[in-house]
Amino acid sequence: MFTFLLTDIFFYIIIISLIMYVAYVRKTPDILANWLYVFRNRTGILSIVVLSFFIITAFLDSIHIKNKIYNNNTKQYVYTSEIKSFLDIILSPMHENYEKSYSAPFSSHLYSKETVNFNNIDKREYPRLLYKGNHNKYSNNKIENIAVISLFSIIKSFFICFLIYMIIFYRTIFKKNNNFLNAFNNNNVLCTSFFIIFFIIILLYDLSTQYYVLGTDKVGVDVLYKSIKSIRTGILIGTLTTIVMLPFAIFLGIFAGYIGGFVDDIIQYIYTTLNSIPSVLLIASAILMLQVYMANNPHEFENIYERADLRLFFLCMILGLTSWTGLCRLLRGESMKLKEVEYVQASQTFGLNKFSIIVRHIIPNIMHIVIITVVLDFSALVLAEAVLSYVNIGVDPTTYSWGNMINAARLEMSREPIVWWSIFSAFLFMFILVLFANLFSDVVRDAFDPRANKKYE
Amino acid sequence: MHLTQEQIKNMNDLLSIKNLFLSIDSENQEEILKDVSFDIKESEIVSLIGESGSGKSLTALSIIRLLEKSCKIKKGKIYFLNKDILSIEEKEMREIRKNDISMIFQEPMRSLNPVMNIYDQLKEAYIDIKISNIKQEIINNLISVGIEDAKRVINLYPHQLSGGMKQRVMIAMAIACKPKLLIADEPTTSLDVTIQKQVLDLLLELKDKLNMAILFITHDLAVASQISDRIVVMQNGEVVENSHAKKFFTNPENSYSKTLLNSSLYLRKTTNIENQDDKNILCIKNLKVYFPERDNLFGRNKSYVKAVDDISILIKSGTTHAIVGESGSGKTTIAKAIMGLVSPTSGNIEILNKDIISMGKSDKRDFRKYYQMIFQDPFSSLNPRMRIGAIIKEGLCFLKPELSNSITNEILRDVLDKVGLKHNSLNKYPHQFSGGQRQRIAIARVLVLEPKLLICDEPTSSLDVTVQKQVLDLLIDIQNKTKISYLFISHDIKLISSISETMSVMYKGKIVESGKTSDIINHTQNEYTRKLLKSVPQIA
Repeated sequence: MFTFLLTDIFFYIIIISLIMYVAYVRKTPDILANWLYVFRNRTGILSIVVLSFFIITAFLDSIHIKNKIYNNNTKQYVYTSEIKSFLDIILSPMHENYEKSYSAPFSSHLYSKETVNFNNIDKREYPRLLYKGNHNKYSNNKIENIAVISLFSIIKSFFICFLIYMIIFYRTIFKKNNNFLNAFNNNNVLCTSFFIIFFIIILLYDLSTQYYVLGTDKVGVDVLYKSIKSIRTGILIGTLTTIVMLPFAIFLGIFAGYIGGFVDDIIQYIYTTLNSIPSVLLIASAILMLQVYMANNPHEFENIYERADLRLFFLCMILGLTSWTGLCRLLRGESMKLKEVEYVQASQTFGLNKFSIIVRHIIPNIMHIVIITVVLDFSALVLAEAVLSYVNIGVDPTTYSWGNMINAARLEMSREPIVWWSIFSAFLFMFILVLFANLFSDVVRDAFDPRANKKYE
Repeated sequence: MHLTQEQIKNMNDLLSIKNLFLSIDSENQEEILKDVSFDIKESEIVSLIGESGSGKSLTALSIIRLLEKSCKIKKGKIYFLNKDILSIEEKEMREIRKNDISMIFQEPMRSLNPVMNIYDQLKEAYIDIKISNIKQEIINNLISVGIEDAKRVINLYPHQLSGGMKQRVMIAMAIACKPKLLIADEPTTSLDVTIQKQVLDLLLELKDKLNMAILFITHDLAVASQISDRIVVMQNGEVVENSHAKKFFTNPENSYSKTLLNSSLYLRKTTNIENQDDKNILCIKNLKVYFPERDNLFGRNKSYVKAVDDISILIKSGTTHAIVGESGSGKTTIAKAIMGLVSPTSGNIEILNKDIISMGKSDKRDFRKYYQMIFQDPFSSLNPRMRIGAIIKEGLCFLKPELSNSITNEILRDVLDKVGLKHNSLNKYPHQFSGGQRQRIAIARVLVLEPKLLICDEPTSSLDVTVQKQVLDLLIDIQNKTKISYLFISHDIKLISSISETMSVMYKGKIVESGKTSDIINHTQNEYTRKLLKSVPQIA
């Protein structure tokens, strides 16, 4: 049976509004032309492909189901309290069994020595891993084995890509004057990036049936699985917070700057007051209040997943409420400047009302600031989550998140020899997400700036 | 004062530029300067003339070797005192900049450091010169550039000085090292005419006193004719003419030079008597616009800046009334008050005999189509993120919403024909057009509303001379075809005299003289107007 967590619903809303926006763009030729530029740009299409894989992962992780089990005592089907997402089902080979403790990437043994009783003799040695790392399927040499797996996944991904390609472009391919290679050349960046990403995904999937690609953590959970599960948390904190923050920042900023006077005073007082409260304290108090509420009303929550989810949602809200002030101030200044620019005055002489001027002239000309700030904030928010987890007011400790992984890595880094793969994989995933988000926003900004030097024109 | 051709021939070359090629690092490797060569002799004033983008400033910057990194000199030599300054070390070049070549820039507001006082800034110019009493030297220097109370001025900061004073300080800095060559890059462009005259006189005086050569860069032929011995004309990075000043202004060789000269001579508008009837289009009575000086924390301060003080103007149908005045005289405030961009303190503004100040909001909205305004700077008066079609349509959509789409499109095509733009411009963005074309777009935007009164706030002052003429011709052409009236605001009394029937001279918020243009130009009664007329540079 499907269950819907609070953040799931918001994630669906985001996806639906994205689809609605696409439909709207397809009808408006001006905006469509700008987006086509993004798609024709190499960096643009590459980052779209990468980001869409992140979003698909997060989406699969947002469809939650409960399993039905047959209760022998009551002779009835009941639902388990455990909630699984589609992603969990797809990734089940990664997390059905847990090792005992730390193990390095691709290792066949645990990372620390243990006392093992062997023929009644106690020995200190590195115990073998229980489930993975020792069953070399194709060859006894580990490197050869990995090479064979890689070869297979190249072939697999090639076939999958070819299939997808034929499905998408079958019309262009079978047109008369258009041969196969021609169609490929027109979309080579798209095809190559698709191929590479499919290859990486299939390779990781195949490898992790036999190895722990990024090692295991303290309680023996596959770090790769943890990192993939954290994508949803990262994207939710980035997007949901931004969505909470943007209306405040844009509307209050523009009203303050454009209307000025009394309105400006009030808005300035609000954000100065908000700014003067240290945001960590504000977040801490909000989260603590929530914890007290959850402790007093345990019956409202069916299971720990709902509690953790509510905490994540609440964190997004409170982060959004505290982080709009910076952008708001920027936009206030910019609209004050734009108010005096002659094209705004020219439309005042046409008798346009304030609302039309804001929509037609001010908002398009501040959008570049919004895009830059949103992307910078997106990365800052993913990092803020890590900082908040550090002082225990971030997401629930049971939620998979890069912040929690980094937080745990504090102790791992002080071990000798150090455990580096946990923080490395959190870093790697965050880096890829933030990097492509930045590249994407760069291209989008250029696409919507008519003065930018667009190469395809 | 001016040197004769024989005198010049006998002098030595101070600077000679030989076959200079320069290009900017970009995808298409465009050549900005193509085969530029000319000489400057000792104590000679050479004017470098050209429109924006012709490569004047880049030539100057290559002489002093302050080009941006992306500019590459491809070929050519620059000799200064027989030394090739393009091949010497940067250290040696610094010595030359310190002792022999100085430069003054266009914007005096931006060339002085706002956090240093005048004394400290001038001291930088004396860094290597060993003088016991440097303060006295600086004061003497300031007095020599015409700053009488130099003792007081050296303790002031740039924002406390007027534009003319700042430019004098800049000149004082430039001549501190007694240079052999002074490069002046449009030093008077941002100044008012009366101050412009003072600065030009000062440069001439200093040239004789210090025996230095001046490379004077300007787009204004009249200014060039006032001071130069020789004229070098540049077009698209090439030198198209290099001749003695007298010869240039009487008999230019090159066709481009001829166009330039013709553009500076405005043809008088043929007043079309049919167009005139006695209908009042605009009638301003006792208009006052005061701005409160500062809101302090406890209630309002009672002091005001009187931007416009008791002004009355009357414009008849089909005529042009001009307002002339220097910057800060309140010309633009009148325009803004009429358009409702600032609210007047008191007074009446009547358009077509209807008082627009007391008019209700919705009536005013319907009425707005009868009076419109074009702005000074076509680069900031068009929204950079809107296509031309949307820009022109904007007024139509809001002021004449009853029009159907097909009619609107027809009007758009019509108006593009009228202002001389191609039909495919509708889908382009403003940055794809030049300054003159943008001003045409701005004119088209108001023209679609068929206004009775058009306020032109310095519509040509940011344009090149040849383009200025085209835009003015367009405005006059439109007036001859329709019964439109103009309120033309300008600082250029020369321009106004050729296009307006009546005019007012403004000074510090007040009209000091008003009447028929020909009367005022030819026999003015007012002291200030006389001064203004005298300061206007004329082509000798």
